[in-house]
Amino acid sequence: MVQLINRSLAKVKQAMGLATINLKSFPHRAIASSVSILSIACVAAVILSVLAMTQGMVKTLEKTGLDDTLIVMRAGAISELQSVMFPAEVNILANHAQVLKNNDNQAMVSAEMFVNAQMLYLDKAGETHIEKLALRGISKGTYRFRPHFKMAAGVKFKTGIRQVIIGQAIARKIPELTVGSTITLGGAQWFVSGIFSDNNSVFESELWADIGMIQSDYQRGNTIQSVRLALKKNTDITALNKEWQDDPRLNLRIMYEKQFFASQAEDLTRLIRWVGFPVAFIMALGAMVAALNTMYATIASRSKEIATHKAIGFSGVAICFSILFEALLIALVGGLLGILPLYFIFDGWTASTQDANNLSQMLFNFELTVGLMMQTLLFSISIGLLGGILPAIKAMSLPVTVALRDN
Amino acid sequence: MQNNNQKKVAIELININKSYQKGSNKVVVHDNFNLSIAKGEFVALMGPSGLGKSTLLNLIGGLDLPTSGSVIIDNQRIDTLSEGKLSTWRAENIGFVFQSHHLLPVLTAQGNVELPLLLTALNSKQRKQHASLALRLVGMEERAKHLPKELSGGQEQRVAIARAIVSDPKIILCDEPTGNLDRKTADEILTLLTTLNKYFGKTIVMVTHDLRASEYASRVINLEKYIHDSKQNQLSAVEVNS
Ligand SMILES: Nc1ncnc2c1ncn2[C@@H]1O[C@H](COP(=O)(O)OP(=O)(O)O)[C@@H](O)[C@H]1O
Ligand SMILES: [Mg+2]
Repeated sequence: MVQLINRSLAKVKQAMGLATINLKSFPHRAIASSVSILSIACVAAVILSVLAMTQGMVKTLEKTGLDDTLIVMRAGAISELQSVMFPAEVNILANHAQVLKNNDNQAMVSAEMFVNAQMLYLDKAGETHIEKLALRGISKGTYRFRPHFKMAAGVKFKTGIRQVIIGQAIARKIPELTVGSTITLGGAQWFVSGIFSDNNSVFESELWADIGMIQSDYQRGNTIQSVRLALKKNTDITALNKEWQDDPRLNLRIMYEKQFFASQAEDLTRLIRWVGFPVAFIMALGAMVAALNTMYATIASRSKEIATHKAIGFSGVAICFSILFEALLIALVGGLLGILPLYFIFDGWTASTQDANNLSQMLFNFELTVGLMMQTLLFSISIGLLGGILPAIKAMSLPVTVALRDN
Repeated sequence: MQNNNQKKVAIELININKSYQKGSNKVVVHDNFNLSIAKGEFVALMGPSGLGKSTLLNLIGGLDLPTSGSVIIDNQRIDTLSEGKLSTWRAENIGFVFQSHHLLPVLTAQGNVELPLLLTALNSKQRKQHASLALRLVGMEERAKHLPKELSGGQEQRVAIARAIVSDPKIILCDEPTGNLDRKTADEILTLLTTLNKYFGKTIVMVTHDLRASEYASRVINLEKYIHDSKQNQLSAVEVNS
């Protein structure tokens, strides 16, 4: 046993010795290895971008929604945009015993209206720009359901007139939109009374205004699109759901707000992964072939050196490991080359995507966590190792006598 | 007597057959070849190219295996050892010197000579000491810090010899060690080998085209003649027997 350990240690020492020499001569081969280094760098960059994007999106959507809150829409509506509800329905819901009441004995309910709006604004040069944005009509009760809502600048809009407050993510993206500026929504002029924040949730990508004004400006009569309800703690949601599903006056879809946004997050991440990962996979295959080629070329150009090592008495296994080590080195350099620029440039960057369901923009941050970077680096290293295995085996079984011939 | 004789034998090639498959052709390089070299001999192996001289060195050093027959070094049969055992054995018992020095360009003379010591139990300080000693032996201690490209051909070959002897092997195998050198430098290298043979007791087998090798070696084998003569002997032995 001791002998076995000693022998293994000796092998490790051999491999380390050769690896150190490889390390010394690596800079000479860096140019020759640059193709595989660069291709691995590209793969790492793509993978990390996809990971960081989905992570950022999930974070944003996960922050959205309260635990005790139900969101109610028309049955069959996938998103708020497709839903239509009538005041009579809202009344039935609001009067249910399980719905919380505030100090004035009024049900805690938020009726909301959601419009995929075209916003026109002027830049400093006086040119008109059009932006597609989510415009949400809200009622007094709405603020209760947004505990992280804060005015970052200015004041809340006044009901009954054309005033909006804009989410911080939009304000960051369009610096022209400040408190006091004027924008055009649905053909009418609106005054920006303030800018709000909501703990980086998806709402920061929305414009909020009085629901009554939006109903009239967008010809929605007195219909609304969704209702949020605060429930008493002990509510049996399954029973409540059954009761409302069985009520002939109602035809609604009921779910927890958290669940609703989580499922949206899922849809979006799935979409990005379905597009991103196949691309990354094909690139990874390419990078692996590049690494394979580079390593074969390296072995060909170093065959005399490898044969000399064997003649001196280095074992095939040690030589095999030293080649793998070099492949690993290439992958490591490539991986870092792909990851570090992203780290320095993109962390905290805001990206926007078209939400698959309501087609308005959603803004979120790239989340470049150490975990994601390690994941990407590990993936890069695996590409290198996979590309290095065959060449390493070839080096191990290289016919010494042929390689050492002087002619 | 018999026993005493066996102890003195360093290298023994017995009934060696070596052939290569070249496409569908079988190229026979050695056919029933026998050779015995005593400890402390300095053998110069001469003959035209393509005759199988390098093949013999590779067989002795365990870099190549015979198609049949046995290779016995120091009373140990090596052609049946596993690949891993063979490399360990080679590290301990054989030093190779080639026509091209095959030094690693990124390592200094010192670094190149230390390389085989990675295969020993020595620590890094001991490795340094051993390598310095080997460099001193070949007269290269002042060039220890130099890279191969900063050395002349003769100096490179000296470093290669230092590398071959640094782990103190009993046998040194040289394949045309002076093939790339001018007369004067070649003489210096041959003198160095003679020193290793005479004063350090190394058994040396050297393949060479150098006609003056006989002035240095203790035995010169003209391989063409050697093969011819041994064929004759075998034939007459067969005739006597029948
Ligand atoms: N790996 C090999 N494959 C095929 N033929 C070989 C190989 N190695 C050597 N030979 C052949 O064996 C013969 C002897 O080669 P070698 O031992 O190098 O001769 P020498 O050193 O005397 O010039 C040559 O004809 C050579 O072509
Ligand atoms: Mg030869």
